[in-house]
Amino acid sequence: MKDLDLESLSREMPYRMPEHFMDDMTARVMSQIGQERSRHSHRRLYAIMAGAASVAAVALLLIHPFGMSNLNVPDYESISQCASIDEVFQTMSADDLSVYSMMSNYYGN
Amino acid sequence: MKRDRNDSMNSQGSLSVSDESIARLLCDDSHVEEAVRLIMKKYGEQLYWHIRRMVVAHDDAEDALQEAMINVYKYRGTYSNEFPLSSWLYKIATNEALKVLKNRAGYNVSVDDLGDSLKDSVRAEASPDADETLILLQEAIALLPTKQKMVFNLRYYDDLSYEEIHTIVGDSVNTLKTNYHYAVNKIKEYILEHQL
Repeated sequence: MKDLDLESLSREMPYRMPEHFMDDMTARVMSQIGQERSRHSHRRLYAIMAGAASVAAVALLLIHPFGMSNLNVPDYESISQCASIDEVFQTMSADDLSVYSMMSNYYGN
Repeated sequence: MKRDRNDSMNSQGSLSVSDESIARLLCDDSHVEEAVRLIMKKYGEQLYWHIRRMVVAHDDAEDALQEAMINVYKYRGTYSNEFPLSSWLYKIATNEALKVLKNRAGYNVSVDDLGDSLKDSVRAEASPDADETLILLQEAIALLPTKQKMVFNLRYYDDLSYEEIHTIVGDSVNTLKTNYHYAVNKIKEYILEHQL
């Protein structure tokens, strides 16, 4: 029976690689890595911003433990609770009156 | 004994940067792009031909090589200098080649059942002036089970030791030797049967 010595065969491939293929491939790979890198740094930036926002929110809660109820609210709310309406109306300008009327509607007063 | 590699695979001649230097650059975030560029220069062609011998079609080899190089960048943290850089690169390239074959096979078909379709691709992809015996050799390789094909290619074409192949394929050295032995016998049988 015939035998075949594989070692004696050429290691050449019967296919061809297109011209400039490796250069084109390198350029494509480097461009894709550039995109990956910028996507990664954006993700890091968002994570840092989200972290900073969380810290700020916690700090705000610590400074104002009762939240929004303790923040400065416009005077017209305290006016409506502390002074008589007539006294206030007398001191109000036309602009103030229109704002007061707007706020009264808003708070259902 | 070192065998001569064919011209199309030999891209290492002009690049003298050591694998250790490339590995160091790869682990340094500010030099990682340079490392990938050097890997492409030093190993790009070898990896291309390794993939192409597995998937046969140039377009598939192109996709797999590109994905492999992106994975080199993405998973550079998994590289350990316990193993040669080349083995790690071959492993990534092999995985990508297998992914291409799995995609081609679909859900219900094993990659090993792609033999006939890969064999048909060999002749379609061969250049018009290709040597008939070399075409038959590639057809015979295409018909091998995947494991035998990987072992045969890495040993016969890439001249890797069984220890290196073990780090890529994962089987014991004795199993790899058996795979190679079976592959050689099947290839010889196929060529002798089909040679005019």
